[in-house]
Amino acid sequence: MTALPTSLPHDAHQHGHEHRHAPVEGGLPQRLRGDNINFPQGAGGGISMALMVLGVLLVAGGLAAAFSGAGGVSLKHGIAAYLVGAFTVLAICIGATFFVMVNYLVNSGWTSTIRRQVENIMAFLPYAWLLLLPALAIEIAKGGVLFTWMNKENATDYLLNKKATYFFFPLHVGEFPAFFVVRTLFYGLFWWFITSSLIRLSNEQDRTGDRWLTAKAVRLCSWGLPVFALTIAFSGFDYLMSPDFKFFSTMWGVYFFAGAVFSAIATITLVINVLLRKGKLKGCVSEEHFHDLGKFQFAFTVFWAYIGFSQYFLIYYANIPEETAFYNHRNAFGWDKLGILLMVGHFIAPFFILLSRHVKKHFNLMIPISLWCIAMQVADMFWILRPMAYTPTPLKDANGVLIAVQEATSVGPGLAGGYLDALLIFGMFAIFAGYLIRKVASGPLVAVNDPRIHEAVGHKNYV
Amino acid sequence: MAVSVAAQKTVYMTENNEQVHGILAEFASPADLYHAAEKVRDAGYDKWDTYTPFPIHGMEEAMGIKRTILPVFVFFGGMTGAGLGFLMQWWISTQEYQMMVQGKPFGDFASGGWQNFVPITFELGILLSAFTAIIGMFALNGLPRHNHPLMKKERFLASSDDKFFICIEAGDAKFNPEKTRDLLERAGATSIELVEE
Repeated sequence: MTALPTSLPHDAHQHGHEHRHAPVEGGLPQRLRGDNINFPQGAGGGISMALMVLGVLLVAGGLAAAFSGAGGVSLKHGIAAYLVGAFTVLAICIGATFFVMVNYLVNSGWTSTIRRQVENIMAFLPYAWLLLLPALAIEIAKGGVLFTWMNKENATDYLLNKKATYFFFPLHVGEFPAFFVVRTLFYGLFWWFITSSLIRLSNEQDRTGDRWLTAKAVRLCSWGLPVFALTIAFSGFDYLMSPDFKFFSTMWGVYFFAGAVFSAIATITLVINVLLRKGKLKGCVSEEHFHDLGKFQFAFTVFWAYIGFSQYFLIYYANIPEETAFYNHRNAFGWDKLGILLMVGHFIAPFFILLSRHVKKHFNLMIPISLWCIAMQVADMFWILRPMAYTPTPLKDANGVLIAVQEATSVGPGLAGGYLDALLIFGMFAIFAGYLIRKVASGPLVAVNDPRIHEAVGHKNYV
Repeated sequence: MAVSVAAQKTVYMTENNEQVHGILAEFASPADLYHAAEKVRDAGYDKWDTYTPFPIHGMEEAMGIKRTILPVFVFFGGMTGAGLGFLMQWWISTQEYQMMVQGKPFGDFASGGWQNFVPITFELGILLSAFTAIIGMFALNGLPRHNHPLMKKERFLASSDDKFFICIEAGDAKFNPEKTRDLLERAGATSIELVEE
């Protein structure tokens, strides 16, 4: 059983700093009541509905364009762009879920006032999973468009046969990908279970004030987090790595996780920033919270770069053809510029900018930084998925021996049919943003009865 | 207490002709110490310190201690390490003695020759920032030192047990045997004594 504080944190007067002292007499302090933590009934309903409808229209339009092949696009391109959008949103939700779970497990106090917003982001996780399904359904119905391991013609591939169990068990190569589908269902069920359980406990605590619900949530996370970690890694293998089925990297799951938390922290910072600008959460969230969120952002900037570089460097040194093919493809045909953008924009720039504590504590500065970090997550997913939808033209000599591969179009792979990428990525974000606005506006903005709420209200970094 | 005026600043001597290190005041609780520290800070002293058995949150504010310059040193230390590490590898393996390893590109930066150099550049960046942090911390704290005048005081040993101390040093520009003692008394000290050098 987890030890919970049986009383409020010991009197700060003992330590003599009244400035961090929350007024606690007579139930909840003023800052945890009324307008400060509530939107009026039905606020944001219009814009939320508009965004969701717009998002669904954009995504549907994008898929229709992909099927029709308008403007030189292909279905393969469409599926890749669809997955870029869906996986960026999924990554943000996964990162948010991790953030909630890990902060339960470490008994962190300072997150009490921001946890509700993280839960609002996390609540989209089952829907993000639902967004994956159309793409997977098209893949299975068409027998493999982007996921070429479903193709009948690859059924004789030696490497695919070695991996057949992972995709097709108990069936065989080229048949219905049974094990793959079972895993997909398991991810959906588990993600729905873990997010809805944590949100239910948190909402119940709002109503009843039962502090032991926190202990229940901790117990749930203690076994839930390891299982959740496995679903992160394996969903990364299944949907992001498998389109290039000859490629394998054991660091893939960690790489995806690092990017996921990176983008989730940016989204959390952004949501709280917007709420502060709306005049909410006064006295609940201070620059000290931003300092800590900034530290998380910084940590996952470095972690992502560390994992990304390690993965690259091991493959670079080992020089195994089926592994290096993945990077060779991305180091040519114009994709190399995207790789450099990731290196500079996902690591070097945020690293030096977030080094300073003044930046981390600066509300206004953190808005463009957070937006940039989310954009970099899109770029990361784009870099992983989109090159797989691009096949360069092979250049052969008179005897049919391959001399070189060259770009298929003069404008470069990233630009041909780029409208499709824009449609699908913005569509996914519009659906997510619409849902998030509705969810944020619907309830109290703070988990008011969290047993550690007073710790979070007076949160301060002592350094 | 005899007072002699040296060339630049006042040196205070005890009746036994020993140089005065400062005035040590004992406090009963962290709160007393905290408020006393605020009073000493507001009186404008800057050569003084507090001694407690455990860290007290917010004490740096009560004492008016400014942010340390150390992170800036560490940043430049790290950058120096990374820069020198890169330069060293570039010079050794592309200028001084070219060596082809596993057919990897070298020297030609456009084709990715710099990639080989990343791990050691990173490691040297880390190494020099860690060295700067440790050595800089010691230097800024005036460490290592073999002894401290306060160690002579039997009473001071309680600072690692259950008592809280402030010591204002005689080297402080505002130090005055009577006024400083008076300030500490008014701040609620339970006992005050003179510390010899």
